[in-house]
Amino acid sequence: MRWPRIRSLVLLLAVAVCAPMLRVSAQSVGAVTSADTLLDGSALNDIWLHINARDWQDLHTNYQDGTYYPVDFEWQGVKVRNSGIRVRGNTTRNDHKPSFRIDFNRYVDGQDLFGLKALVLNNSWHDPSMLHDDLSMQTFQKMGIPAPRQAHVRLYVGAAREYAGVYVISEEISKTFLTANFREDNGYLYEFHRQDGDNYGFQEQPELGWYIPRFGPKTHETESVANLYTPVRTLVEAVNEARQDNLEDRLGDYLDVRTFITELAVQNVLAQTDGLVGGVGMNNFYLYRFAGKKLSMLIPWDQDNSFSRMDMPPSDNMGTNVLASKIWNEPKYRDAYLARLLDTADLVSSGWLEQEAAREYEQIRAAVYEDPLTPYSRDEFDQANAFVQQFARERGAVVRQYVASIAPEVLRSRRLR
Amino acid sequence: MPARANTSIVVRLVIVVVVLAASLFAGAPPASAQVKLTFDKHPAIDFGDVFTASVRVKSQNDWRGFPSEPESDPKNVFDPYRERIAVEGRILGRVLYHVEREFHDTSSPWKNIYLETRVLHGVHVQGGQFNMPFGLDQTTSLMNQDFNYHSLAGSFLAPGRGIGVMAFGDFFKKNLVAYEAGVFRQDGDNTRSAQLQDLRVAPTFVGRIVVKPFSKWQPLNFARSMETGFAFSDGELPAGLYSLKGQTIPGDAFVQKVYVNGRRQRLGAQLQWRPGPIGVQAEAMRVRDTRLGQGIEDQDLPNVVERAWYVSGTWLATGEHKKDTITPARPFLNGGYGAIELGARLERLSTGSGPALNPALYGPRSPGVFPTADLVWTTGVNWYVNKFFELSLNVIREDRTLLRTATLSSGPVWSRTFRVEFGL
Repeated sequence: MRWPRIRSLVLLLAVAVCAPMLRVSAQSVGAVTSADTLLDGSALNDIWLHINARDWQDLHTNYQDGTYYPVDFEWQGVKVRNSGIRVRGNTTRNDHKPSFRIDFNRYVDGQDLFGLKALVLNNSWHDPSMLHDDLSMQTFQKMGIPAPRQAHVRLYVGAAREYAGVYVISEEISKTFLTANFREDNGYLYEFHRQDGDNYGFQEQPELGWYIPRFGPKTHETESVANLYTPVRTLVEAVNEARQDNLEDRLGDYLDVRTFITELAVQNVLAQTDGLVGGVGMNNFYLYRFAGKKLSMLIPWDQDNSFSRMDMPPSDNMGTNVLASKIWNEPKYRDAYLARLLDTADLVSSGWLEQEAAREYEQIRAAVYEDPLTPYSRDEFDQANAFVQQFARERGAVVRQYVASIAPEVLRSRRLR
Repeated sequence: MPARANTSIVVRLVIVVVVLAASLFAGAPPASAQVKLTFDKHPAIDFGDVFTASVRVKSQNDWRGFPSEPESDPKNVFDPYRERIAVEGRILGRVLYHVEREFHDTSSPWKNIYLETRVLHGVHVQGGQFNMPFGLDQTTSLMNQDFNYHSLAGSFLAPGRGIGVMAFGDFFKKNLVAYEAGVFRQDGDNTRSAQLQDLRVAPTFVGRIVVKPFSKWQPLNFARSMETGFAFSDGELPAGLYSLKGQTIPGDAFVQKVYVNGRRQRLGAQLQWRPGPIGVQAEAMRVRDTRLGQGIEDQDLPNVVERAWYVSGTWLATGEHKKDTITPARPFLNGGYGAIELGARLERLSTGSGPALNPALYGPRSPGVFPTADLVWTTGVNWYVNKFFELSLNVIREDRTLLRTATLSSGPVWSRTFRVEFGL
């Protein structure tokens, strides 16, 4: 009689201990699946923003403001009430078809959409194909660089469910993103804000105040200026002080040079003109410093200006950035960079990128044709997409030819491998 | 409407008063013989019956001990609460004028600026910028308050100051019934947000009747000072995030802001009784804002309602009679210790209306407004050193019922304030 009773007690205890774990596990599986469904791009999802007509009007009238308005976000019957929406963007900010940021926890603490605290709806204002950003992020991911997931959506607005056009939905770079990609979220995350007139490329800036407007903290926001920005300045100093022939010796603790080389390679293969070595200096990235470490990483953001020119040399503007310049001028790092160019070129010309571009074009074409707010004609949309597909077909060869012209030994050694 | 419309109107009012006074001076006979300088409680100058002017100075400086609430803005221990100067007097013996400026409020430094005259027996007319006749505590001069801070009702539900015209007076002898009725450009500065000041809206009507039911009854001598009153206001409310505010004692917002549109209507009741050295005062207010078309799908939402009340009592331990202005019978260092007054006030401000919702469904456009409240006990001692100086110590206990997203402390919270006040 005693043993069955003890067994029952043990069983009950085991159930009691395991039940919370089972519940958490079920929640997380459900969350990942659902967020993936929205962001994996396999389907053109419909998003319905329930918003007061006056607020929708005010969003457009006061599009330069960062004012939040309440909105109910609906997707596939799932409604996240009392979310907050505001207009976002810099050069893409406009009152005709604004980009938006939706914060699910703006008015309700802890509220999320299957684990996502916020979403960004990009208008692709500078990109008639509507594919540049999404395809760039996918390329980064395939090259091992963490980048935000993106997908196209049809946006509907208001009580009358009026069609407001096609948008590119993007997960935000936030603690959720950090956890998913780095399995931690307690480090220091900054969004880089390029200032008008800047042509910045890791040049030393002794004053901490210089960093404040440029590196907006996204975590630890309330910490002191010294806590937030001294490590950023130290990173920049390390970039400047590092010996060109052995960058890792001084810089290794602060930045992974190989990762930076890969990021440069991806952006230059994709002919990005507004990235880490764009024409106006560094732009469109987040900086993340890992928890309890000096090590930082750059995370790509807003790659609308990629796919710019088929013949853009992948060495453009390398001299304007202190670190890129050291990489370019030191043979062993230049060879490493050229090798990553070839890796990226191989990926791009493998057929994957062209197929993905064609698939996405087919997926959104009818919706874009009906988009009442797009600034581009159907012809412009079609031509831009045709160029993206051509770029995907031919860019790899252009890059390989470039590498062969300046460092044939790199190409040869690769073939031997 | 330009953003500085109210300021420019106030400045114009100042100019009118100054020009009126100057023109009278210009037309007056050589007056050196008539000029009389006096300094009783405050400096004054009389030009016979033509023009009089007296200068008032009000200064209140606080040392504060507020609870540490890491998520709220830090508060300085020293707070120069009020530094005001006012000039008031009469023009031709008939028109009373008042101009007042605050030095610590850079956004709206001009406070009460008005002209007042009697047009008929029992009918006075006042025009300019002044306190709307709603709320006993709110319309009591800051120098005559029993406690360091206005009541929550007076601070956040009463309309405060506005630009308008008001008639007032009394019926019967001994002010048995007094009335005030005014029309103002818009709602008062207590409840107006900066954005709302830019909007031109329809006028707000405000009225109050105060009755002293026992003022003529000799048998009820102890009750003769008792007065009770009722007030209302009704004005247009433009669409926007303009619901009423509510702040904790340290000054942090705790009331959920919601979208409103339509009308704002107030009802208020007040009671004051001052038998000898004792003062008893109480008020209750209710404000209702409509929300036409403010739902997320443009639908009408239930009204949002805020309520507040307080009851307070004071006792002048040194025996002076309770009045608006306390002058010690035996000032400090002049044969006595000044006047000592003990007081306590219990008050509550609350909001929350519409249907009860799941906490996640409350938002600025949701039909329900999340219930929040602040129940506040204030106990204090006032030391009237002489007719110029007063020292006040208040100990305040708040019991907060907060928004679920609030980052402020809930439950009992203690604050202390010590004030040095100088009035001339």
